[in-house]
Amino acid sequence: MRRSLKFRPLLKACFSLFRIETAESLQYRAAAIAGASIGIFWGLIEITVYTVFFLFADRNEAALSLPQVVSYCWLHQCLFGFFSMNIDSEILAKINNGDVGVELCRPLDLYFHWFSKTAGKRIGRFWWRGIITAAVALLMPAGYRLGAPDSSWVPGFCLFLISIGAAFLLCTSFGMLITAIRMGITWGEGPANMLFLLSLVLSGAYLPLQLWPDAWQGFLFFQPFAGNFDLPIRMYVGSLSPGGGAAAIGIQLTWTAVFIASGRVIMKRKLRNIIVQGG
Amino acid sequence: MKNDLKVYLKYIKMRFLSGLEYKGWWLAALNVLFTCVTDPLSTILMFARMGNVGEWSMERILLIYALAVCSFGLAETFCRGFDVFPWAMIQSGNFDRLLLRPRNLAVQVAGSVFHIHRLARVAFGLGAISWALVRMGVAVTPFSALVLVLALAGGFLTYCGVFVLSSGIAFFTIKALDWIFILTNASYQVTRVPMDYMPRLLKRAFTFVMPVLLISYYPASVVCGWGGAVWPGLMAAPVGAVFLVLSTIVWKAGVRHYKSTGS
Repeated sequence: MRRSLKFRPLLKACFSLFRIETAESLQYRAAAIAGASIGIFWGLIEITVYTVFFLFADRNEAALSLPQVVSYCWLHQCLFGFFSMNIDSEILAKINNGDVGVELCRPLDLYFHWFSKTAGKRIGRFWWRGIITAAVALLMPAGYRLGAPDSSWVPGFCLFLISIGAAFLLCTSFGMLITAIRMGITWGEGPANMLFLLSLVLSGAYLPLQLWPDAWQGFLFFQPFAGNFDLPIRMYVGSLSPGGGAAAIGIQLTWTAVFIASGRVIMKRKLRNIIVQGG
Repeated sequence: MKNDLKVYLKYIKMRFLSGLEYKGWWLAALNVLFTCVTDPLSTILMFARMGNVGEWSMERILLIYALAVCSFGLAETFCRGFDVFPWAMIQSGNFDRLLLRPRNLAVQVAGSVFHIHRLARVAFGLGAISWALVRMGVAVTPFSALVLVLALAGGFLTYCGVFVLSSGIAFFTIKALDWIFILTNASYQVTRVPMDYMPRLLKRAFTFVMPVLLISYYPASVVCGWGGAVWPGLMAAPVGAVFLVLSTIVWKAGVRHYKSTGS
């Protein structure tokens, strides 16, 4: 079965879905405040740990300075709304209870349909959480404050904004790839969870990637998950050479394309012999 | 009391056996283990890059951290029903059914969920504690073994208390309970900060409000002889018990306040 993929109506439909989901998820302000408060607490602990290391450790051999790491922690908390450790709950319910069958009746490409919905939800979640966290981070006392963007190179900040957009697409397309993989697996959430966790670890959420062992830096720069948080934040704190900015965005977009293409292929294959559960 | 224990053990046995019916249970255990192993990754890599912080080595921090994680894992294994209570029982309205049964409420809730894969966190904790003790060359005397056991028991009670507390509060707020994360998974992150350099506010909050440091740092300090008085190291079990009792008061007030939710 091959549905003709008309570009303009598809784009319009997907954009509407995206808008609906964004508007809806922006309603959950209490959840955003709760999310932000956890993020802020987490950020404060992380910053405390790094401060102790930078001030009192035996060796101070880091590619980043302490203010850069502090800014890194806050920006990571701000951007964290893009990322999700789970498949979208609504979509997962559809996979589990057999509503995929209903979804297939719609004259709309399933992959982009779900992509727009997932994207809308993530934007909504990111928005309030990010703004609250950033506001609090800017009001912190001196040693804990989110620093200004690296001033030595103004285009860096513009690239940072573009890179955030690319990071958003990257996170969403990876989420969709896992969704496609999850469609066929009947043995639970284990594999999906592990893939999400791997992407989280390699995105610099646990430790800025530039503080990982020096020997791994080449791999860490080019692997897909650096683009989730680490590469955009490098542009903000100025730990990336000017030429590196464009390369970083190129890496983000390349991996986004890879994830979208493989997600679509896998989903198409899974749909070919899908077993609709339930009734 | 004896009857309650019997009911609880029966519940756990039943859930355990039904859990084993899923072929993927070992995968879930692997998943939890993977989470535990990656969690202290940043600490390990920072020590590898920057070296020790004064007297503080990676083994020290890992010992303290593992004590807290292991206690948390124990509570998560044997008291999971309270952990998921706000979602599984209150928001869904399932709690009404428990009220109809002529058995102890707390036992029914605690036994309502049991995930065998949660034991992976306990296994990781015990492994990390032993590894750290061996690496630091600490001889384990009967006394220090007792201190460790009391620390884990106290930690178990404390984290059970956190779950019971959040369940009690859920009766009043129904939703918006995500902040409880600060007392669960986020609380043991505090143990990654070397004690001598910890900001005073953090130290006080996690000693006197939520006693994470009393179940991790102080017992570890006694076992390894890092100086300081011995008695705070023995406080874990009594303080954990007090914390659990106080939480139970909130829980009981919640049960009295409850007027059914959901559909």
